[in-house]
Amino acid sequence: MDWVMTAFQGGLASLASYLAAHVLLCLVPAFFIAGGLSALVPQQSIIRYLGPNAPKWMSYPAAAGAGSLLAVCSCTVQPLFAGIYKKGAGLGPAITFLFFAPAANILALSYTGVALGADFAIARILLALSFGIGIGMIMAVLFRESDVARLADSLTFAAGESISGKVFFFLGTLVALLIAGTLKLDFLKIIVFSSSVPWGGASEVQQVLDRWVPVNEATGAEGLSLQGALLIGLLVVIGATAWRGLGKVDEGFNRLTPVTLGLVAATLVFAAMGVQVTPSGISLTVTGRSLAVIVTTLALLPQARRFEAWDVQQWLWETWRFVKMIFPLLIVGVFLVGVIRVFIQPEWIQAVAGANTLLANLAGVVFGVFMYFPTLVEVPIAKMFLSLGMHPGPLIAYLMADPELSLQSILITSAIIGKLRAWTYVGLVAIFSTLAGLTYGAWVDGTSGLTLGIVVAGFILMLSATLHLIEARRRD
Amino acid sequence: MLIKILGPGCAKCNRLEQLTREAVAELGINADFEHVTQIEHIMAYPIMTTPALVVDERVKCSGRIPSKGEILGWLKV
Repeated sequence: MDWVMTAFQGGLASLASYLAAHVLLCLVPAFFIAGGLSALVPQQSIIRYLGPNAPKWMSYPAAAGAGSLLAVCSCTVQPLFAGIYKKGAGLGPAITFLFFAPAANILALSYTGVALGADFAIARILLALSFGIGIGMIMAVLFRESDVARLADSLTFAAGESISGKVFFFLGTLVALLIAGTLKLDFLKIIVFSSSVPWGGASEVQQVLDRWVPVNEATGAEGLSLQGALLIGLLVVIGATAWRGLGKVDEGFNRLTPVTLGLVAATLVFAAMGVQVTPSGISLTVTGRSLAVIVTTLALLPQARRFEAWDVQQWLWETWRFVKMIFPLLIVGVFLVGVIRVFIQPEWIQAVAGANTLLANLAGVVFGVFMYFPTLVEVPIAKMFLSLGMHPGPLIAYLMADPELSLQSILITSAIIGKLRAWTYVGLVAIFSTLAGLTYGAWVDGTSGLTLGIVVAGFILMLSATLHLIEARRRD
Repeated sequence: MLIKILGPGCAKCNRLEQLTREAVAELGINADFEHVTQIEHIMAYPIMTTPALVVDERVKCSGRIPSKGEILGWLKV
């Protein structure tokens, strides 16, 4: 019975540290940003650059932009992919869009940054961008002759409204809130003010928490602090009020809407404070981070008032829809990752992927292709591998391959672009993910950024030159 | 009147259909509803994003959920 207990505690520990440490300052603003992108950004503002006559230098970046800004939800990915392929800029940009979307949307990016570190997030977005465009271009050249004759209807790509200034600033403030809450910058750590609250019971409560969710340096279990426990309590309360307060907001604001939003703001501010349990009570610290979170949260209110009521309602409704769709799966995923973590020996991982070799990177990719995890669950899995001693290179290879390739996405793509093209795409993603892992691994191992930059730039130059030559020859 | 909702069956599409049905009931008009989920059929219309609302084969909006006021305006004509 002992191992059941250990496994259960492993799951609990993983869940506790996830909810208390990662979710709040990162995922809560990220969900609100995702809702805002989905409800407030007019999709035509990007789609108009994806027409059949758009030049390449415009359509590829626009496809990547569509991937990160519009495709936060699967119900936009499929029609947009089919639309770009069949009516618009063609196979190449469509592939770029498909490749870039899961790696670069705001939820995946911010969660990667907080759970694994900012360098992983930056590597993920840069590698996904350059390789996404690369794969798109290769596909476009490979299948040029069989490219379908596209219906040119100008109406689809007519210039619609562009992103208005107030939407831009509103989303910008939300991004600032996300950054203020998560980034590990020095000026955010400055202690502005601290005081202590005498409460003799504090250390006893902490002891109980430590018994339930033990700290274990070796397995990376972070334990559960008093602040963490309070935050989880607040999250539960928010969930209860948001059910009506945000879930029914599209029928008009109700009494629970301001209650929910107020609670969310209060929770964010509390999460950004330093709370330490001392023998005599609790010491509260207000840091630069707390102030930055307070200021950005307050700055949202006057801006939100300038929107029409329907827009704000849509924004909140979309946000809650994302939470309902992604959060439950994520919680189950994180718990299971914690349980599995108990049974995996670090030696196994280190033997397979402990160093940045070709084989290790391939192993990361193969694992990514054959495993299918719901949106965002790839991040806690990657975190588990990292704590077990996986080299960052193979880890990036896994992170690139897992969300891009799943059985489900392969089936959808092959239905739209055909089996041959879909499987070529799968092969290319596997190759490029391996390359991405090797590159990042070499960088981590100390190869200078300059050398790697030259190698990657040279590779891209060679690739585009070859593609250009092939294309020029075909035209003759 | 023929009203088509285009969308692969996501939450937004269902919400749009619900709103449109409410608007139709409010106006007391006769309308047939069709929820188009096949991606090829959706792509036959000049749109790139779903959900989309098509009234008598004319695309009224796509990629967002319009407010009920807007829908009422489109249905009245």
